[in-house]
Amino acid sequence: MYAIELQDVRKSFGPVRAVDALSIRVPQGAVYGFLGPNGAGKTTTLRMVMDIIRPDSGEIRMFNEPASATVRGRVGYMPEERGLYRKMTVASVLRYFGSLRGMTADQLGQRVPAWLERIDLAGHATKKVEELSRGMHQKLQFAVTVIHDPDLVILDEPFSGLDPVNQDVLRDIIDAMRREGRTVLFSTHGMHEAEQLCDFIVLIDKGKVVVDGTLDQIRAGHEARTVSIELEGDAGFVERLPQIAAVRHDGRRIDVTLREGADPQDLLRTLVERARVRVFEIRQPSLHEIFVRLVGDNHAEDR
Amino acid sequence: MRKIVKVARREFLDTVKTRTFLLSLLLIPVLVVGIIFLSKKMVQSEGGPRPAIRIGVTSPSDELFKRIASAFEGHNKSHSQSPLVLQSLSVGSEEQGKEKLRRDTLDAYVVLEGDLEGKEGTVQFYTYKPKASQIDAIWSVERLFRDAVVNRRCEARGIDRAMLAEIQSVPIRRVELGDEQGREKVQSEGQRVARMMVPFAFMYLIFIGIVGMGQHMISSIIEEKNSRIIEMLLSAVSPFELMAGKILGLAGVGLTVMILWGAAAYGAAVWRGINIDIGLDLVAYGLVYYVLGFVLFSAILAGVGSVCNTIKETQSLMMPITLIFVVPLIAWPQLARDPNGDLARVLSYIPPTTPMLMVLRLASSPDIWWGEIVLSILVLVVGVFVTIWAAAKVFRTGILLYGKRPGPREIVRWLREK
Repeated sequence: MYAIELQDVRKSFGPVRAVDALSIRVPQGAVYGFLGPNGAGKTTTLRMVMDIIRPDSGEIRMFNEPASATVRGRVGYMPEERGLYRKMTVASVLRYFGSLRGMTADQLGQRVPAWLERIDLAGHATKKVEELSRGMHQKLQFAVTVIHDPDLVILDEPFSGLDPVNQDVLRDIIDAMRREGRTVLFSTHGMHEAEQLCDFIVLIDKGKVVVDGTLDQIRAGHEARTVSIELEGDAGFVERLPQIAAVRHDGRRIDVTLREGADPQDLLRTLVERARVRVFEIRQPSLHEIFVRLVGDNHAEDR
Repeated sequence: MRKIVKVARREFLDTVKTRTFLLSLLLIPVLVVGIIFLSKKMVQSEGGPRPAIRIGVTSPSDELFKRIASAFEGHNKSHSQSPLVLQSLSVGSEEQGKEKLRRDTLDAYVVLEGDLEGKEGTVQFYTYKPKASQIDAIWSVERLFRDAVVNRRCEARGIDRAMLAEIQSVPIRRVELGDEQGREKVQSEGQRVARMMVPFAFMYLIFIGIVGMGQHMISSIIEEKNSRIIEMLLSAVSPFELMAGKILGLAGVGLTVMILWGAAAYGAAVWRGINIDIGLDLVAYGLVYYVLGFVLFSAILAGVGSVCNTIKETQSLMMPITLIFVVPLIAWPQLARDPNGDLARVLSYIPPTTPMLMVLRLASSPDIWWGEIVLSILVLVVGVFVTIWAAAKVFRTGILLYGKRPGPREIVRWLREK
């Protein structure tokens, strides 16, 4: 069963195709990373899932049902552009958003204090939102998103603008959600978080899917081309080997990039013939490298 | 619908709690009372002592001049705060008199010409660049001259002045009958004015209630846009629910204000002893027209507010819209004269002006054909639906846009989107 299914979804703004025949399936209970450079169509897609804007064509289903207001009640959404009523008190903001999503007074009476406790704001419940520090504000925003205990949480660039402490808080909360069996979909252009947190990753560019799958699947499709080696004695001959495309010296180590189609095992055999090998490590490509390979260097944006 | 009510509730409470709201709630009645109070004060008292007004007189008849002099004395006795100084100039020195005016040694120069004691003759009243502060006083001098001439003419014809006054005095009492036998009451002057002003006051109340409350709509939307709350909200409610909730909440605020102001005005009138007969049906119609008019106006503002980023930007867009609502105020003198005339009828069926016009007409002549009421409400309701439909489309897209304001062509494209 899928938490979200997009089938051939398209959306244009004037002459610009923001989302072009996009089909994505987000399995229930997974943490799903939505990656792509700026302007790839991530926010537009998430907004369409939340029915904030409508697709030009295509179908969006949630929990095996056509997306409707009722189904959306099971979703918590934190947009990239986020803010709260500055004049309202912390507790009343939580209550207001909770009640808008259909929570009863009883539920609010339980969940609001519980969440304030969880994000360390219990002592600030009666303060106005504008009196909070930026970090507290960010935590409150997240609590507002999940106050109604959603089955699916959609976060648009949740890590952008967070200080390191709050990044850890958010990471822990996402991890906890995964353990509770909830589905989390978040967009980011930070590869690091995606690698750490995600079960599934989809990379889009110019409104189209570039690659989609589990982290291992994605890596498997991109065989390792970087090998780190350390030899005894003179290693000057390595540069002249036919398998090697580039060499980078890093102290005693040499990081070499293999030519397209070259086999690392073949390189090892050659090395063993000519010198004593101390270290031979085939490096798994990082998501960042795959990303750069797929969408080009000019797009890459890693923090 | 439940969500609309929740949005409305928050909007209502939040607006009512702001300082600007409380100020505007109190300020306008205070201002109105203040103006009435001050203008009354100004009419009643002459204010502080004024500099004497110097008046030169050239009279061919000594008898007449004596009359004028004694009239001036009488005036100076009863109005010690604004004395008049009389100066006699001989016949033939008219040019000198005019020169004195120009050199500011006289404030007015009066030349009596011809046989004023008989039938012929005129009183020439010269001034040179009259000072604004003296104008009213100079005109009151005219009366003194007229009295002096009339007295002199009476004398010349042997008519008793007192008798003439008796002949001319015809007291008239305006009495209005009540519904029952024996209930009649004498109308005071204030009451006649009130009778005339009540329709205008009603129309004005509607105007202030609609246009004044609109400010809250604009500031509420701009605030939500600027503090980036919109998208958080839109994940919980639909754009239409958000807009409808806002309109509903602010309509509630408007109604509260209307009722408070209306009650205050009625209370003040009763307290001052001015009897205003306001039928319950007029109040009921007034509320219906007000709510519909408010929804219409605030839906327009919701559309306008959604495409703007700052209050400043909204103002240039609001100008032409507000202007339409001002039309009935400008046209009031014409409308008051003929509340069922062509102009009034036409304006009654243009949705933005319908509420003000119909309330004005209902308040000034209660015997409007019921068909007109039904038709005007129908037209207004249709106008409200069309406006909400268009506003919702603009709102839906505009609310998410930051930066450059979309042009009219783009907005038309939004309207065509399904």
